[in-house]
Amino acid sequence: MSLKEKELMKNSPPCSSNSLSNYLWEDHPDEEKWADCVHCGMCLESCPTYLETGQEQHSPRGRVHLIKSVAEGKLEVNEQFMDPVFQCLDCRACTTACPADVDVGGLIEEARGQVRQAMPLKGVKRAVSSFFLKGIFPHQNRLQAAGGLLKFYQKSGLQKAVRSTGLLRIMPDHLVEMEAIMPEIHQSTHQKYKNVEIIPAKGSSKAQVAMLKGCIMDVMFSDINQSTINVLTHNGNDVVLPKKQTCCGALHIHAGDRETGKKLAKQNIEAFQDAEKVVVNAAGCGCALKEYPELFRHDPEWKAKAEAFSKKVEDISKYLYDTGYEKPQSAINKRITYHDACHLAHGQGVRHEPRQLLKDIPGVDYVEQPNADTCCGSAGIYNITNPEMASAVLERKMENVPKDVEMISMGNPGCMLQMAIGVQKYGRGGRIVHTVQLLDWAYQADAKKGVNDGVISEKEESTDRS
Amino acid sequence: MVLLAKKKKAQIDPDILALTKIVGSKSILHHKEDLLSYDCDGFTIHKAMPKAVIFPKNTDEVAAAVKYCANHAIPFLARGAGTGLSGGAIPLNNEVIISLVKMKNLLSVDYENRKAVVQPGFVNLKLTNSISHKGYYYAPDPSSQYVCTIGGNVAENAGGAHCLKYGVTTNHILGLEVVLPDGEVIEISPNGILDTPGYDILGILTGSEGTLGIVTKITVRILKNPEAKKTVLAYFDRVEDGSHAVSDIISAGIIPAALEMMDQTAIEGVEAGAFPVGHPPDIEALLLIEVDGIAEGIAEQIEQILSVCENHHVRDVKVARDEKERDRWWANRKTGFGAMGAISPDYLVQDGVIPRSKLPEVLKEIRNISKEYSLRIANIFHAGDGNLHPLILFDSRIEGETEKALLAGTACLKACADAGGSITGEHGVGIEKKEEMRFIFSDEELEAQTAIRDVFNPHNLLNQGKLFPTPSRCMDIKKVVNETSLTKST
Repeated sequence: MSLKEKELMKNSPPCSSNSLSNYLWEDHPDEEKWADCVHCGMCLESCPTYLETGQEQHSPRGRVHLIKSVAEGKLEVNEQFMDPVFQCLDCRACTTACPADVDVGGLIEEARGQVRQAMPLKGVKRAVSSFFLKGIFPHQNRLQAAGGLLKFYQKSGLQKAVRSTGLLRIMPDHLVEMEAIMPEIHQSTHQKYKNVEIIPAKGSSKAQVAMLKGCIMDVMFSDINQSTINVLTHNGNDVVLPKKQTCCGALHIHAGDRETGKKLAKQNIEAFQDAEKVVVNAAGCGCALKEYPELFRHDPEWKAKAEAFSKKVEDISKYLYDTGYEKPQSAINKRITYHDACHLAHGQGVRHEPRQLLKDIPGVDYVEQPNADTCCGSAGIYNITNPEMASAVLERKMENVPKDVEMISMGNPGCMLQMAIGVQKYGRGGRIVHTVQLLDWAYQADAKKGVNDGVISEKEESTDRS
Repeated sequence: MVLLAKKKKAQIDPDILALTKIVGSKSILHHKEDLLSYDCDGFTIHKAMPKAVIFPKNTDEVAAAVKYCANHAIPFLARGAGTGLSGGAIPLNNEVIISLVKMKNLLSVDYENRKAVVQPGFVNLKLTNSISHKGYYYAPDPSSQYVCTIGGNVAENAGGAHCLKYGVTTNHILGLEVVLPDGEVIEISPNGILDTPGYDILGILTGSEGTLGIVTKITVRILKNPEAKKTVLAYFDRVEDGSHAVSDIISAGIIPAALEMMDQTAIEGVEAGAFPVGHPPDIEALLLIEVDGIAEGIAEQIEQILSVCENHHVRDVKVARDEKERDRWWANRKTGFGAMGAISPDYLVQDGVIPRSKLPEVLKEIRNISKEYSLRIANIFHAGDGNLHPLILFDSRIEGETEKALLAGTACLKACADAGGSITGEHGVGIEKKEEMRFIFSDEELEAQTAIRDVFNPHNLLNQGKLFPTPSRCMDIKKVVNETSLTKST
């Protein structure tokens, strides 16, 4: 232990409950969480990194054991401890498998917070991490600017040039793979609805919902945001996009930067203060918003606010399912499978709703894939920070995707990018789509056919069927 | 920093270097931080650090590593998923752990002759999942079957809920490939044909708790799915009524595929866990009863079971409506041990066996033990074959409570032994129950068994300190003396 650390310990003993503890900072992993774990091992086979390595320090119960050992003074927060804690994909599959509902995800994030304070990132890693996490994601304008650059890169012919000159060859493999599947950049909803207070429901309004635009979502996948708005308004919802909303903070929290996470959380809680419902179309963001109370477990005032806020958060598929949606008339004649985003299935327990949504679209030939709820390896920015493991996990995932599907539907942008890499890398067919896009396209087809203009009358419906 | 690293490298233990040569640098762990995850298995009361953990990929690597350890007098042991509940995979003597989780393939399936060959790290449930599309399954189903390995099942002679009708692991093993403690590889009944003349070596190895050899290939029996299956859930206001119902179901001539019981504390646990079913909190016992077989007789058996339950004042009894409901009931039961984490920071599970007819009085005795030690005890168990699992709930953070739990566990086993039963049904003896072996075996009987061990494992390097009481008798001490002189002479 360095002198400085010893000094720190003397001045502020944050772990007063356990003097042996080697966690030296506030907000350390919670004893109550690991006390639930009896080391039964039921989590092992659910964990992608354990399946890959076969090593228990890369399994949920192993990680919990290590986290507990640091608190008991048996281990120090060092490189060897950091590795298992940061190899975790944060996929939460263990939470589903665990008989005792141990909050492994929460423990991992708290432990990462300790690691990042004990061993701040250095050099290039630090620069890259703080550039994206602190410099870009939380700032709407900079994000838009980055989006603009990407758009310029695609439209100006630069992309073509880069691809044809072989400039990509000097980039690491995983970044080349990412460049190859970069989605086409459209105008963000942020810009499009800059001066709009409420996007009104088509037909009569039954509810008003607020939507989280997301940071990357609105730049890379603004068409999905547009589809979400279309589907919501189509089903009688007025949509507001609170101006002060920001990045959800999930990536920061996953990376151990809990302080920035808390700042962003506070901003969002305030931005959505007046909303009754907060609809989210990115599983990772939705899960993070729902877990805000965990961030403030030592701050009663904000904890209460976070609890009230997180109750309002709902994934788009669940919101539609719960409040009712119109079944489209136009067919999408495609063979489609569904991939469970970890933070939707394991994180929010949403499994049935998006599947039902797909099945309600005429013409969809739905095929279930084996192990649909295993991680694809995207895991926020994991595929950038741990490319090797991410690619092994992806390979396992792709083995399960039925060979003959034409589309793979899901509810999370990170998964969409990763699965797109998978499809490309393994030479597979299958267009990657967000579940809500399919519904939107079916509605649009309805509109073109004149089936409806927001509201279908009984008469029109019956003529279309006949 | 660089200098320091170099210095460290120079100091690496020659054994580690030699083992690294055998399995490769990616398949060995030897840093303290990495080893810590291996200081216990599903039995967490005793912890000890291994010297290293290696992950061989084939039988040759296992044999080479074993040979190295044998030649250098390094203690070693085998480990699968580490879900064992008696501490069989805990490295008490700073062992080299040979983890078999990378040997996890299904090698072949022979539907015609109803057998399959698997590697030891193959997960139990995966076998059923891999053959179910053809209408087959693997019968032994320990509650940890989602994760536990078949190699581990062989070592512990694992049971499970459905062993009442179909028998435990030993009844389903047709052949084994084993690395003996000196590194020699042998095959027992390689064609999977049983009833060969001579001693039943398969029988001796199955359930030997990793003290006789390391299994590297297993031929198992697979069964055709039963034509029909029905599951009943019955709630009783009094434990006694539930116990009597168990006896009467069996004496009515029905052999259920499974006949499980949970008491009130256990119900509190599973309902607080991840797979609640909605059992009423105020009942004293529930029975989960499953019958299977030819479709025809099933309805009649269900009728009989329902009427037995009625005769014993059942509060509520129902038949599972569909597969989904059945699965929910079973998930609730099978995750029962882990679910105790939701109501207690630690638990110790015991594994006694008693004659079915003694169920009410032994349960009463366990209640007395619970009072005496002022520790809560939950009971989840295979009532049909009298295999009790008292789960002693405690908090290791409270000083003295772990010791109290251990004593309460011993008292439970004593009660079972006194009732004419045994101290383990399926979890094995391991570290946990080795002293309690004396409840059911005399010194001479123990001696006879260690003599068998010595034939296979003469230097006792493989999984030392498990299964039998630690040297406290003159015969064991004699042996230690002999061994020391033997090691010296070699």
